[in-house]
Amino acid sequence: MTSNPALVESATVEVEDVSKWFGQKVAVSNVTCSFGPGVTGLLGPNGAGKTTTLRMLTGLIRPSRGTIRILGVWPRTSPSVYGSVGLVPEEAAVYPSMSARSYIRYAATLSGVESVDDATERAIATVALEDAADRKLGGYSKGMRQRAKVAAALVADPQILLLDEPLNGTDPVQRLHLINLFRRLGDEGRTVIVSSHVLDEVERMSDRVIAIVDGRLAAAGDVAAIRHAMSDIPYRVRVETDKSRVLAARLLEEALVHGVTVDDGTLHVETNDLAALGRRVPVVARDVDARILVFRPEDASLESVFRYLVGKR
Amino acid sequence: MRAAHAITVATIRQVLGVRRAILFGLAMTAPALVFLLTSQTVSDQAAMERLAFMAVTLYFPLLVPIVSLIISASALGDERRDGTLSFLVLRPVPRSVIAGSKFLGAALVVAALTAIGGGALGLVYGIETGSWGPLLPLVVGGIVAGTVYAALFVPLGFFTDRAVLAGLVFVLVFENGVVTALSGLVALSPWRLGLAAFSALSSDAVTAALTDLGVPDLPGFGMALLRTVLVVVVSIAATTLVLRRRDLA
Repeated sequence: MTSNPALVESATVEVEDVSKWFGQKVAVSNVTCSFGPGVTGLLGPNGAGKTTTLRMLTGLIRPSRGTIRILGVWPRTSPSVYGSVGLVPEEAAVYPSMSARSYIRYAATLSGVESVDDATERAIATVALEDAADRKLGGYSKGMRQRAKVAAALVADPQILLLDEPLNGTDPVQRLHLINLFRRLGDEGRTVIVSSHVLDEVERMSDRVIAIVDGRLAAAGDVAAIRHAMSDIPYRVRVETDKSRVLAARLLEEALVHGVTVDDGTLHVETNDLAALGRRVPVVARDVDARILVFRPEDASLESVFRYLVGKR
Repeated sequence: MRAAHAITVATIRQVLGVRRAILFGLAMTAPALVFLLTSQTVSDQAAMERLAFMAVTLYFPLLVPIVSLIISASALGDERRDGTLSFLVLRPVPRSVIAGSKFLGAALVVAALTAIGGGALGLVYGIETGSWGPLLPLVVGGIVAGTVYAALFVPLGFFTDRAVLAGLVFVLVFENGVVTALSGLVALSPWRLGLAAFSALSSDAVTAALTDLGVPDLPGFGMALLRTVLVVVVSIAATTLVLRRRDLA
């Protein structure tokens, strides 16, 4: 076992001290990590550098510094490795005038698949697109296009699958189907890298997470460890009540409350345990005969959580 | 070979939808229609002069370049703009095959459309005069010019969203303006390579009619073909290099 949680033992995808800048803008900065069999979530807020990282992994863009290896080679100079890699890009990347079946067949042909028709039908069935496979992609919903792209990526039976926000635009049923599919592919021993800005999504499909914020590696490890790291984030909660001063004084006696400020009758309560505070406030309010009008976390966006993780490093 | 065939077929479908096929097909018949509309019961010599006039003013310097550049610029340009180029380049297919197939797809469509235009003009001339000699030279000349434009504008479509605009400036300002004024630059004008092929394959009467219209000395058919092949080879090599080296941001 390696001691660095960003690295894995049997790595199929290696990222070593990689940076990428576009003019003055640094998109990715000194990222070192690796990926192996199983599903790994590439987590981060929008604009964090996830897409740039994935595009570098595939060789679509070159890193400004550092090295990337897929199955031991830099794909840009060894295109044959693309036979083992499938990419589902975030942008449209489909031919609107093609049917899904033609699109997937085209992908199979270009990937050098032996039995193109069989592989195409298998891929269509894998993403459950049988009923719509002969419709033009231009008429597809975003969720259906995502499934067609996943099928096109899977048609060559790749060892490595890179998925950039693959659940965007999918409905709950499609999402569940795709999450189960990615899990199954990971369980089969493929390297599946899924980028997302939604922690809950990543948690449902992967056991390991690489978190990127502002182009830097913010956290790495299993999902439980990331959750644990997030558990001591101070939250601020807005509480509106008809007895603000009495309730504030009483809340300050609670161990889970780190501080309370009163601003124009509104309480701003600081805590590390949002859930426990949510349970405790109604009890305390009943004790002092106060009515709770509003109870709302003020700054619990995933982005703020990520920034906290970056600040901790 | 399977990949090359698949990319070529997909490119043909991509650059030539039904509406484009109808529109450009009809546009290419404009010289034939004008020839018909200006038809008079006059001598074969006068008909030949009208044919040469159509070739030198409408078919070669306007229709062939404009249709060719619009078709060719979209072969790689649309892929880049729509984000589908990553679909192509992230496959175990050599970049040279992608570049060659993209060119081939565009060139085949351009060849078909120019053949329609040249064929239609040769056909109405044949119907009027009973002489079918210019038909094949018109078709071949159009294909030669269209092929050179395809070789120039397939890679240009990859570089810029304004490839069509750049192409129009090249054709209308440089070729039809500067080169017309400075005949020493004839070698840099693709449509004149097509005209050279047409002239070389036609009878002396056609060549004389072209000369009467102020067309300067043009290279022979072999030289026109050689230059065309050279431009195509350089274009495919350049496109291959660009696909290998340039980031697809």
